[in-house]
Amino acid sequence: MSEPAGARILVVDDELGVREGCRKILASEGYEVLTAGDGKAGLAQLVERGPFAVLLVDLQMPRMSGLELIREARIRDPDIVPIIITAHATLDTAVEGTRQGAYSYIPKPFTPDELLLAIKNGLERRALSLEARRLREEREKRLLEVAAERSRSTTIIAAMTDGILVINSEKLVVLRNNATARILPDCAHRPIPFPLDEIESADVREIVNIVLDSPGGFMILSRQIPLGAFTYMVNVSPIIEPGGETSGAVAVFSDVTELKKLDTAKSMFVSLVAHEVKSPLAATEGWLNLVLSGMLKADPAEERHMLERALLRVRTLRGMVNELISLTAIQTGNFSLKRAPVAVAEVLAEVMEIHREKAEERRISVEISDCAAGAHVLADREALSMICSNLVENAIKYSCDDGRVLVRIGREGIYVAVSVKDEGIGMSPEDSAKVFEEFYRARNEQTAGIPGTGLGLSLVKRLTELHEGTVSVSSEPGKGSEFTVRLPSMQPSA
Amino acid sequence: MSSGPMIYLVDDDKDFLEMEKAILAHGGYRTRCFSESREALEALGSAAGIERPALVVTDLMMKSLDAGFTFARALRSDPRFADIPMIIVSAVARQKGFDFRPRTAEDLAAMNAEAFFDKPVSPAALLARVKELVG
Repeated sequence: MSEPAGARILVVDDELGVREGCRKILASEGYEVLTAGDGKAGLAQLVERGPFAVLLVDLQMPRMSGLELIREARIRDPDIVPIIITAHATLDTAVEGTRQGAYSYIPKPFTPDELLLAIKNGLERRALSLEARRLREEREKRLLEVAAERSRSTTIIAAMTDGILVINSEKLVVLRNNATARILPDCAHRPIPFPLDEIESADVREIVNIVLDSPGGFMILSRQIPLGAFTYMVNVSPIIEPGGETSGAVAVFSDVTELKKLDTAKSMFVSLVAHEVKSPLAATEGWLNLVLSGMLKADPAEERHMLERALLRVRTLRGMVNELISLTAIQTGNFSLKRAPVAVAEVLAEVMEIHREKAEERRISVEISDCAAGAHVLADREALSMICSNLVENAIKYSCDDGRVLVRIGREGIYVAVSVKDEGIGMSPEDSAKVFEEFYRARNEQTAGIPGTGLGLSLVKRLTELHEGTVSVSSEPGKGSEFTVRLPSMQPSA
Repeated sequence: MSSGPMIYLVDDDKDFLEMEKAILAHGGYRTRCFSESREALEALGSAAGIERPALVVTDLMMKSLDAGFTFARALRSDPRFADIPMIIVSAVARQKGFDFRPRTAEDLAAMNAEAFFDKPVSPAALLARVKELVG
């Protein structure tokens, strides 16, 4: 970075003749020249009009000496090139001047050529020193950037929730982030580096070894590895140097435990559906086979009975498919409620009418007691009807012949509560706890002949919750069950 | 019609019990139905010496996935009933990654069963097999 031709020069001398002489000579060469008559004035010029490339300074001046001025000038601009001009040149002053940072020395009197040469050399010196400074500053900046980059990478790696291990070609673990301490607790406290062989999990050791030992070095391996209570997807990639050789491997551990659980839950659900569909289908097919087998010697009553049994199973199956469709719609958020004020007693009266015949067949009385006259809820009428219908139907199904079902509408705080109570077979506490789960059915001698999908109550629960309501059950084996649905009540006028 | 050999039927699905009962009645067999293998074992215990069944037909998956296997093993390990032939029927022989269906005689022996049928059982096939086993 060389100074432009019009480099700025400050001439400080108490002799006007010298000052002006210098100024004229230098200005004629295109330099920009400012002058001052003593050290203090020179300093003022430096401060107010700087920077200057060269400081041409007399040593002996009133108020502030040339050496003092040089010192002050260099504090403000370390690259300024001070050149001493003096008539009293001695070796001592020259040495002292150099010590103070003077670049060179021109004894008075001097010729214009001597002055110009000194200035030219001084300017070259300044250019060199500026260039050196620039390089030095650039290097420092680079070093800072590298340091910042390294600390940034380290921070990023440390903060990642995925575990990261770096293994070098000597099979030493040379880097691990915080997450690996959790994922591989057995080597959390080993000082880095430590041998790969000290990692407890044989799966992890194996997959890293395969990548490190693969001849081409371009093998990337992924494997699901269970570690503790979690399952990780472990990806191992080789680190390839520009020359092509493998210098190590990076292993990244991603937690896939939840995904795996979801996957298992999905498979279990599909398997449950398959099972629940297959049994009624097999029963239906069995009955039809039997009727068609010609074994029944054309007994119309027996045939009819068997066809009715088949029909019952097919109906159950259809009901189950409908319930599955509703459940799936609720789960995927595609079940839209058309909510409007609904009179609870009205819906229950309709529901009881639907199930009246079934109840009468087995001489089961279904009574309703309305202790919350005119109670309304903001609900989807069809959904509310499904909820009530499921409860009443269950109560009848699980009642003993000649039994009694009691439906009660009441108020509980901000809720309208509909409870359906039977005096039927009841349930164990274990069954009660699971009765709202999909496909759960209490299986015992008493329930063996009762058709059901195991979906009705889970649908009741889901539908109730869509209405910000709750459902609960209390039951005792041999005594009966009572299911209660609570929905936020609303004023009929609203 | 109701003087033939006695056959125990075990299934928690009432339809299959009735179906099998009707089929076997057609072949001249008498039947006793149980909705749980535990009840069948109790009945066997108390009926020992009085009326032993000539055959047991059991469902595979009842309260547990392999209730039928457990039942068959219990029967085989009791010297009083070890010789009673056993037929296992199931609608869910392929379920949850398992495939219970026996492919060889060794498979059947390992199940402690003489025959295995997928549900629903063909009436003719069931009767034919029962005839072979009981006469």
